[in-house]
Amino acid sequence: MATPDWLKTAAQRSERETWMLGHVFARYRQVEGRTDEELAAELGCSLEVLEWLSLCRRPQGERFAEHVLAIAKRFAVDPRRLGAVIRHVEVMNALAPQRDGGVVANKGSLLLAARDRPKDEEPSS
Amino acid sequence: MKVQLETDELGLHERVLQHDPVAPSEVFRVFMDPILNILVRDLACDRWDAHDAAVEAVLAYLEQPDRYDPKKGRLLTYLAGAAKHRLVDHLRSAAAQARREQKFAELVELQARPPNERLEETVEARLAWERFEKRMKSEEDRQAFRLILQGKQPAERFAEVFGLTSLPRDAMEREVKRNRDRLMKLLERFRREGPDGNP
Repeated sequence: MATPDWLKTAAQRSERETWMLGHVFARYRQVEGRTDEELAAELGCSLEVLEWLSLCRRPQGERFAEHVLAIAKRFAVDPRRLGAVIRHVEVMNALAPQRDGGVVANKGSLLLAARDRPKDEEPSS
Repeated sequence: MKVQLETDELGLHERVLQHDPVAPSEVFRVFMDPILNILVRDLACDRWDAHDAAVEAVLAYLEQPDRYDPKKGRLLTYLAGAAKHRLVDHLRSAAAQARREQKFAELVELQARPPNERLEETVEARLAWERFEKRMKSEEDRQAFRLILQGKQPAERFAEVFGLTSLPRDAMEREVKRNRDRLMKLLERFRREGPDGNP
């Protein structure tokens, strides 16, 4: 199936919706200084698939893992990489600088991020 | 076939209500092309012009899916109707803006041809243009004003002129609008003044 002519418009618009994955990807690119191409390579997908992924609902809460798996299965991407990107953004958001110059760490987000880290990324000490 | 379509629509609507994470992308995949086809057919507009209205209608539904009542009609009808309203509003607004800009252009005798050609031919208008250019503090403003005079231009063109391309889209659009409004106010003040620079 050919790429729809409206897909890019929709994916770009999704960046402004905090409940959408497009917003997560935009934040990740901003924080990590990645391009679309680099993010797609990191997720192991094409730019078109990245745009389709952007239109999905952002996994959150207790069903995070289940939702990441559902999205990953639908678009044939690695669920661990996708989950890692989403959690990374959650952590960065939780540690986002406040106006007084300090940082506020959202304990819940950090704990979830730590819990979701794949085992092969654990320190080997 | 129609029954099958309606069943699929209801199933997808149910998934949206349940916050199925893949459902939003499915809604786009299933409905965007039919919505665009309806807009192009009913409003005789350009398909590209209809993109934004269709995307906004789908997003509005996804954010508040419970506002759609399946008993009142098909989801496609609901979405296409919402998109039509948005596009009509947008077209009206664009037409009103074009009329306003045309009015301003007429005031500096730029009605018939592109501003630079016309100004070169009309001494009086050229003098007016020179006075107005002096009023604009920066080369960026002068370039942006030339864009305004050329008619409806995408925000990206203004963003390039003002060096705003690195901003997130919503911030960029906000800044572009602020700068456009500022220039239009400058022109309005200029118009109120006489040829000697006095009101």
